[in-house]
Amino acid sequence: MTAYVIRRVWQMIPTILGVILLIFILFNWVGGDPAQVLAGKISNPAQIENIRHQLGVDRPYWYQLWVFVKQVFTFDFGRSWSTNELVSHIILTRIGPTLTIMLPVVAITTGLAVLFAVLVAYVRGSLSDRMVMIVCTVAMSVSFLVYIIVFQWLFGFILGWFPVQGWSESFWKNLTYYAPLPIMLAVFVGVAPELRLYRSFFLDEIHQEYVRTARAKGLPENRVMLKHVMRNALIPILTNVGINLPGVFVGSFLLEVFFSIPGLGREVVTAVNRSDFPVIKAVTVYLAIITMVINLVVDVLYKFVDPRVTFK
Amino acid sequence: MILRTPSELLSASFPRSPARRRAILALGAGAAAFAVPTAIAQDADGRKVLRVALRAAETGFDPQRIFDRYSVGICENLFETLVSYDYLARPVKLVPLAAESVPEPEEGGTRYTFRIKPGIRYANDPVFGGKPRELVARDVEYAIKRFRDPANRSPYEWLFQGNLAGLDELAERARKEGKFDYDTKIPGIELHGDYVVSFKLKQPNYNFLYFMAMPNVVPVAREVIEAYGADTMGHPVGTGPYVLAQWVRRSKIVLERNPDYRGFELETRYADMADEWDRRAIDALAGKRLPLVDRVEVSIIEDDQPRFLAFLNHEHDLIDELPFEFINQVLPNGRLNPQLASQGVRVFPELQPEITYYTFNCEQLPGQPDNPVAGYTAERVALRRAMVLGHDRNQEIAVIRQGQAIPAQSPVPPGVVGYDPDFRTDAQDPDPPRAKALLDMFGYIDRDGDGFRERPDGRPLTIRYKYDVGGQEKRDTAQLWVTGMASIGIRLEATGVQFADLLNDKRVGNFQLAISAWIADYPDAQNFLQLLYGPNTDQSNESRFRLAEYDRLYEKSLTVPDSPERNRLYREMTRLLFAYAPWRLGVTRTFQHLQYPWVRGYKKHPILYTNWKWLDIDVPMQHAAVR
Repeated sequence: MTAYVIRRVWQMIPTILGVILLIFILFNWVGGDPAQVLAGKISNPAQIENIRHQLGVDRPYWYQLWVFVKQVFTFDFGRSWSTNELVSHIILTRIGPTLTIMLPVVAITTGLAVLFAVLVAYVRGSLSDRMVMIVCTVAMSVSFLVYIIVFQWLFGFILGWFPVQGWSESFWKNLTYYAPLPIMLAVFVGVAPELRLYRSFFLDEIHQEYVRTARAKGLPENRVMLKHVMRNALIPILTNVGINLPGVFVGSFLLEVFFSIPGLGREVVTAVNRSDFPVIKAVTVYLAIITMVINLVVDVLYKFVDPRVTFK
Repeated sequence: MILRTPSELLSASFPRSPARRRAILALGAGAAAFAVPTAIAQDADGRKVLRVALRAAETGFDPQRIFDRYSVGICENLFETLVSYDYLARPVKLVPLAAESVPEPEEGGTRYTFRIKPGIRYANDPVFGGKPRELVARDVEYAIKRFRDPANRSPYEWLFQGNLAGLDELAERARKEGKFDYDTKIPGIELHGDYVVSFKLKQPNYNFLYFMAMPNVVPVAREVIEAYGADTMGHPVGTGPYVLAQWVRRSKIVLERNPDYRGFELETRYADMADEWDRRAIDALAGKRLPLVDRVEVSIIEDDQPRFLAFLNHEHDLIDELPFEFINQVLPNGRLNPQLASQGVRVFPELQPEITYYTFNCEQLPGQPDNPVAGYTAERVALRRAMVLGHDRNQEIAVIRQGQAIPAQSPVPPGVVGYDPDFRTDAQDPDPPRAKALLDMFGYIDRDGDGFRERPDGRPLTIRYKYDVGGQEKRDTAQLWVTGMASIGIRLEATGVQFADLLNDKRVGNFQLAISAWIADYPDAQNFLQLLYGPNTDQSNESRFRLAEYDRLYEKSLTVPDSPERNRLYREMTRLLFAYAPWRLGVTRTFQHLQYPWVRGYKKHPILYTNWKWLDIDVPMQHAAVR
């Protein structure tokens, strides 16, 4: 396994270089001119040129690319062009609020989706199963934005169960006071599609011959479902969780904007609007690395879930 | 088909053991405990806390390096300009702040001498080594030079470009050498002792005092700037009534009263006793040492709904610029909603000193796509004027802006020096029949019967309109243009682009028609009329309008102080705008500002971004409301 992990780590390097090149080309091709945004209401071409010079975007492309590569391998992306804040500080301070929301969302959504998927798979074809599928389909058809607006208005304002918005400097206060409504919202929206997907995974396993054999041997139904079916269905579930996990680290822009959460998602969109390349660069590279690491971890976990898996 | 209830679903998989049941109940109780009722943290010792929200994130608090109004609004409370505006006077009036008096223009408007009040102290900062630091004249000199330091990339560099003798040369040298020499003296800024600074301008500028009243033009201590280097955005040290106590970027800003601040009293000599807001402000503040608010808690809430709901929930004490989508709920038929009225909420309607306008690109640039609206020939001018007449601004006001705007009658909005309230013209009123007649007269005829007109030479005619995609309102106004032009037979295609791209396109002339807006940097018509001044092309003159007569009138107006003569010049310039139609004038928007009754002394200033230092809080009333 060690050799496999080392080989996978080595393979990340060309991927990172590809990401760097892609981001660099995209930004310089379709990205807006940051000097125009930073120049203010009244400026002349000389001032615009000065800003470009201060930002270093008037240097030859090869030089800018070389600087980018150096930044990736030294983890030093400099300062934000619009706020002059250290990019590393931006990421370190914004990742906390994002994870405060997203980690519980992932955990609760996955847990509930698996639980309900097992239950409805067990009663597949029944009225309950169909009712749940109809509810999931309807729930998925409504825009996330509509949920946010309605939930915020209903639970925050009308019922007063949660604050309408806000964030504090205390982790526990954020987790117990400000985060519950956005978490509940994200879980409510996220459970439906995952439930449908996991249900199909369980159904695939339920129809396998080993399940029929287990029943024929007289095993209790819950043992069949939880010990055998669940175990085999975990592989694709793990894959799905692994695919979604990198998104946790960027967070939900809509949630962060509507609930005034100073997270990374909001920061990224602001950076895009302002053509703040250092922030865009850092988050993109950091996300690419996270994705590759998570993929590696998931691949390694397969071995523990299914002993038949071997690493080549 | 086997029917199962939810409980059967659960029980089929989970045995009903007492331990499991207790665990589930405990989990449920824990979840319920998270859903605590909303509670607003109150200051236990009865200090006055003002809670407000900003609708956009700040960038930082280095006054010479920022330009967004929200960051600048915070800086208004941390720093002090030499002169500022009286709180109550309308029209606005300059009054001394850090200076002893408002200087009179000398030497034909080319010299302004400020005397700084002795004894004004900066807020305490470790850089000062525990010793009080007094504001002195060299701090003003240093701040002005910072605008021209290329390393600062100051968005307000234009304020001191081409006007102070010697400063342009210093800036140019800095660009070449890579470092600004702050120690070199220039003839444009003379220091006489610790408290007198005199500015010598290259040309007369009767608006120079307004420049010095802008919240970015504040003295700063050189040792602070040099000590904090790249982090000046996060370490504002000024002489203002508040200090930055806490800053969670893009989330929360907390200002605390500056213990070293000298305080001030409300000036009432310019108050209008017939104005109820003036009377209330005087009742609340007269005779008291200001500021009265001990702490200002600023939340950043970028979306309109949570900002509005937070106000309704008493999480904030006032809401500036009520979002337009809630206008009909708050002000049904123009009257305050009874529920809000019963809570004592007050509404301050404000006509902001700004205009929106749609700018035609009057220049065909080499290398750019063919521009059918460019030029000053009779046909091109007629096309622009016809498009103006075909655009239904009344519908824009009634529907898109929900009645919260008035049509702009001139490029100068109300409340600005040089605004003529009696000036009226129908040159920009919607009139489709006139538009069609004009187009017919100048050869813009539908030759192929497709319902859209061609150019006089027979070539197809398509006008391209650009807008930035940030907001439904922009999309709606774009659609209004499409339908309005279709009604007079002009094909118009609207393209939404990112804000930065639109800025760039307008700067390089890569557009035909685009939406624009301008809010007063200072309350003089010059600030708006310079938008059409020929030499300002590639800068603020987005329409690239170059008319010798207009430029001549503008340059002449710069040499004349506020007077009937100058107003005459402004009227002439406005007539030229209507004649050549480089713009379709839009609207001046009305904003509604709401406050709860425990906020005392409120009056929104048209030029200053915040009024926090003039407010008072009735603490018992505030506490009673939020419990």
